[in-house]
Amino acid sequence: MGFFTDTTVCIGCKACEVACKQWNDLASDGAEFRKGGSYDHTGSLGASTWRHVRFVEKLAPSPELKAEAEAAVAAGAGGNVPGIPATRGGDLPSVDELGAAGGGASAEEVPDLVDWAERNDMDRWIFMSDVCKHCTNAGCLDACPTGAIIRTELETVLIQPDVCNGCGYCIAACPFGVITRDPVDGRAGKCTLCYDRLQDGLEPACAKACPTDSIQFGPYEELVQTARGRVQELHQRGIDDAYLFGAGDEPGDELAGGLGAFFLLTEPPERFGLPAEAESPVQENVVPATAAAIGAGLLAAAGVAAAFLGGSRRR
Amino acid sequence: MSDRRDLTPAIGTRAEPGAYRRAAEGAEVALHRRRFADSLWSYLYGRDTRYRAEEVAADRVSAAALRARRGEMPDTVQGPVIQAPVWTWEVPLYFWFGGMAAGSSFVALACDLAADRGSAATARKVALAAAAPCAPLLIADLGRPGRFLNMLRIFKPRSPMSMGAWAMTLFGGLGAAAVAADLTRRPRLASALGGANAVVGGYFGSYTGVLLSSTAVPVWAGSRLFLGPIFVATGAATGAAANRLVLVGAGLPAGHPTRKALSRVEAGAIATELALSAINQRRLGGLSSALEQGAAGRLFRGARRAVLAGLGLRLARRAAPVTQHLASVLYLAGGLAFRYAWLAAGRSSAADHGAVARSARRQ
Repeated sequence: MGFFTDTTVCIGCKACEVACKQWNDLASDGAEFRKGGSYDHTGSLGASTWRHVRFVEKLAPSPELKAEAEAAVAAGAGGNVPGIPATRGGDLPSVDELGAAGGGASAEEVPDLVDWAERNDMDRWIFMSDVCKHCTNAGCLDACPTGAIIRTELETVLIQPDVCNGCGYCIAACPFGVITRDPVDGRAGKCTLCYDRLQDGLEPACAKACPTDSIQFGPYEELVQTARGRVQELHQRGIDDAYLFGAGDEPGDELAGGLGAFFLLTEPPERFGLPAEAESPVQENVVPATAAAIGAGLLAAAGVAAAFLGGSRRR
Repeated sequence: MSDRRDLTPAIGTRAEPGAYRRAAEGAEVALHRRRFADSLWSYLYGRDTRYRAEEVAADRVSAAALRARRGEMPDTVQGPVIQAPVWTWEVPLYFWFGGMAAGSSFVALACDLAADRGSAATARKVALAAAAPCAPLLIADLGRPGRFLNMLRIFKPRSPMSMGAWAMTLFGGLGAAAVAADLTRRPRLASALGGANAVVGGYFGSYTGVLLSSTAVPVWAGSRLFLGPIFVATGAATGAAANRLVLVGAGLPAGHPTRKALSRVEAGAIATELALSAINQRRLGGLSSALEQGAAGRLFRGARRAVLAGLGLRLARRAAPVTQHLASVLYLAGGLAFRYAWLAAGRSSAADHGAVARSARRQ
């Protein structure tokens, strides 16, 4: 079983987020704007956010901001999202703020927001309902030292809450930043693909709540067929940027062996905070790293012995 | 191309739930739609949307994905891409103690080989004493400390943390047995147990590097061939320094070969650590900024200064014995700062969204 999330029909209503929180009894994220430099106020996936609707503001950065970002990248600090003006207490941002944040247009040049948005290529918002990818080569599953994380009979990746002891290794081992540790509860948490609902023949809460069928749920092979057809359809309509993130790739080009929850995107993955390539860090690194570490450990023991024996011979 | 996913893990066996029974056997999932419903109201369907006349080939789907993933990277990365590790102050302190314990086990083996039985027994005690705080520190770092024993419910070669938990248990057990053999005057058994513990210590002192490099954090994963060796070098240096101080405190005279050998081990291990770190830093390229800036950079610079000062004190020929001991203390302090620095570097590397996204791109 898997998820196919089609960002071209997502309207950013966050119904999936709310449905997920209600069904799984998760804490709220507060209502603080500008988490992550966006109007999106839930920020990122985590222990209490198993579905997260990411808002991607299509703002073209001004030449100054672009130069600033390039300087930051050159200095090694990394690129950041151009500042998005926050709404303070429900007020609309002023034209000045909007201009300073994304465009580079000044107040005199911008008579109204619509005009500003059109001229600055802020033609739309893109929304993406992000979720645990239920990877084929799942980093969290490989890392988990207690066996709390398992592959279920439904091909999903599940954290067994009664086994997890909150060691935190899965958090750093996830290449998609899906898992965090609940500070109150002490355990790691992530999407279960509504394992409990599936047991009773119900579809997951988010897919059920989605009003536009942006989130689709079903048997994996069928979903991939549907998604392929959708991309072909969009290409036929001239939307050449549409592509599948995590499914339908040739062997060798797959993301973490293929994602159980995959996405239809129209922008490069980094705009959604997704890595362009991903693999289970454990499967990638553990063998060479262990070989180097054990080799070094034995060499160190031998080196210490040599230092002692060399000294005694000299004596 | 097959759509069926091969879920066989690369190493080990696939984890399975204990038992599963569907509420209604063979039931369909209610209300799930098999067909895609078109949505002409989407922004993608403007009034001027034109339909392409020709059919779209099937291989265009994978080609489109590669175009987006291997094409030009956008200027803006709307992170977070990965989550920062949650480990707090206990973990680097554990790395320090664990490394010291492993280093002490090497010293015990070397003393035995050099036929200095008394120092070997002391080194075995130091190894056990350094290993003692490890488990409490690790337990304190857990989100659910009461469930620590879950670590030992499975043996999972794929997971460095599982292997580390077992290595720590084995090291502690062997170390305690060796000390018990010493106390009951069975020197041969103690030497054998101590020798076995040095082999376990080879993994116990270096697996922490494997643990950090088997993560999605770019600066750790990028150092995968170096983190283990660097950690074991720090461990050997701190182990030798701790043993030197303990043995001197117990009355080992100046000029004793063991004391000289320990000084050599300290200096050699620190020099190896510094050399490996320098090579690794050069290899990392742009990622090395995580090692140079912020809290991690300050810790690394402080640690380097401390161990270089220690080396300098050792080289000063006519130095008083106290300054020689100060050098050992500086090695211990530097080793501790190195451990905290690596953790801090991982935290800042994970928070640098641009760097994470760049390192994920296929070069």
